[in-house]
Amino acid sequence: MLGVFRSELLKLRKSPIWWLIFVSPALSTLVAYAEFYPEDLLPWHISLSMIAMVHGLLFLPLLTGVFAAFVCRFEHAGGGWKQLLALPVSRSSVFLVKFAMVMGILLVIQLLVCAGLLAVGFFKGFPMPVPWDVITRSLLGSWIACLPLAALQMGVSVAWSNFAAPMALNVIFTLPSILIANSEKYGPYYPWAQPALAMLPREAESFGAFNVPLESLFFVIAGSFVIFFAAGYSYFLRKPV
Amino acid sequence: MTGFGRVFSSDLLKLRRTFVWGLAVLGPVGVIALQAVNFMLRYDWLTKLYAEDLWGGLIDNVKWLGVPALMIGLAIVASMMAGYEHQTNAWKQTLALPISRTAVYTGKIAALLVLLLISCTLLAIGTVLLGVLLGFGADVPVGKILSSSYLPLLAAMPFVSLQVWLSVTMKNQAVPLTIGILGTVFNLYSSSLNEWFPWRWPYLLEGAWSPFMTVVAGLAVGALLYGVGMNHFRVKDVN
Repeated sequence: MLGVFRSELLKLRKSPIWWLIFVSPALSTLVAYAEFYPEDLLPWHISLSMIAMVHGLLFLPLLTGVFAAFVCRFEHAGGGWKQLLALPVSRSSVFLVKFAMVMGILLVIQLLVCAGLLAVGFFKGFPMPVPWDVITRSLLGSWIACLPLAALQMGVSVAWSNFAAPMALNVIFTLPSILIANSEKYGPYYPWAQPALAMLPREAESFGAFNVPLESLFFVIAGSFVIFFAAGYSYFLRKPV
Repeated sequence: MTGFGRVFSSDLLKLRRTFVWGLAVLGPVGVIALQAVNFMLRYDWLTKLYAEDLWGGLIDNVKWLGVPALMIGLAIVASMMAGYEHQTNAWKQTLALPISRTAVYTGKIAALLVLLLISCTLLAIGTVLLGVLLGFGADVPVGKILSSSYLPLLAAMPFVSLQVWLSVTMKNQAVPLTIGILGTVFNLYSSSLNEWFPWRWPYLLEGAWSPFMTVVAGLAVGALLYGVGMNHFRVKDVN
């Protein structure tokens, strides 16, 4: 298992793709910085909401798909699946490690977003102390909300060899969340809207589905994760290579 | 048939049994279906909001979802089309044929444009159908629907050229796709950007530039990027 993990890490490091982790945090920081805040509002909360609309609504779900497709790229190119699975490693550990890689990359991205937010806060003199509980809940919550999406994308990425095909599926489901996230009734049940909904600081903004308690989002996230992960995992165990 | 004609028809042939066609249909159908749900769920509120111009309200709503779908859709389709060649290492074979590289490159762009034109046509038809079904009356503003369905594609020509260029010349499709995603997100939040940013153009917003000027700019930059991309492809090593 450790060997599989180290080989995945090496494959990632040798590729220019890991630079992608900086794209969304940089843009989020820029958006949070460009926004003007009246003194009396909660600037930390509003910055987080702004970041949720840029980073959580589109980048996070879409990048999940890019990274899931990416960790399978070397295997699809030039018959790598055969080589990898001929090694004395179990299929389940290959799948689990690839999935863990995707979630690990996303966690690094969340940490970078946090760093960007803190930098903006210190630079613009937001009121201290830093509301760590709100920030942690928001960034960690949206990371957890990516679990079902990563599971689904891993499943289709091991199945389809064309890199753009899993991305197409990802976009088909992610774009509608621009509309669906606004809906009070349907937003909470749509897995692709969860990263944005979970990222919004709980008490700041409240319109549409944006004021749903984290607990009810959790059931949708956990439920869709179990279904997507079971489907992708059991498919990969049987997949002919 | 000329070299270009053959490349073009072979490009369309290669796509025949793939779900690229499905995507070209699903894009507009999905946009119309989402707007149908949107208007049905909030019928009273939206018809009050757009009371003096029901059709205009519908057309605008379709546009706000259709343009991002166009932006990301063209990136995905360009990448899928080039992906079939990259995956099977078929560039060598294609370029070994007695066809100029110019024709090969132009064929790819032409095939992509045909697919996008079909999508735009479906979007126009879908807008009319949805408006009639919602009971917005028989005086369909045909000109307005046609221009809001096709003009965004013309204004998005820089991105068509850019995505084909990146997808064809890079083996790693993660890069063009990420640039496509980035462009789409920029495009979604572009209404406050300056007129000079091409990401704003596909919406054809009224501003310092008229829609006509925006389309001309789109076509000009698109043609420029097409030339740059083709020159790169002509001298590029293929393996």
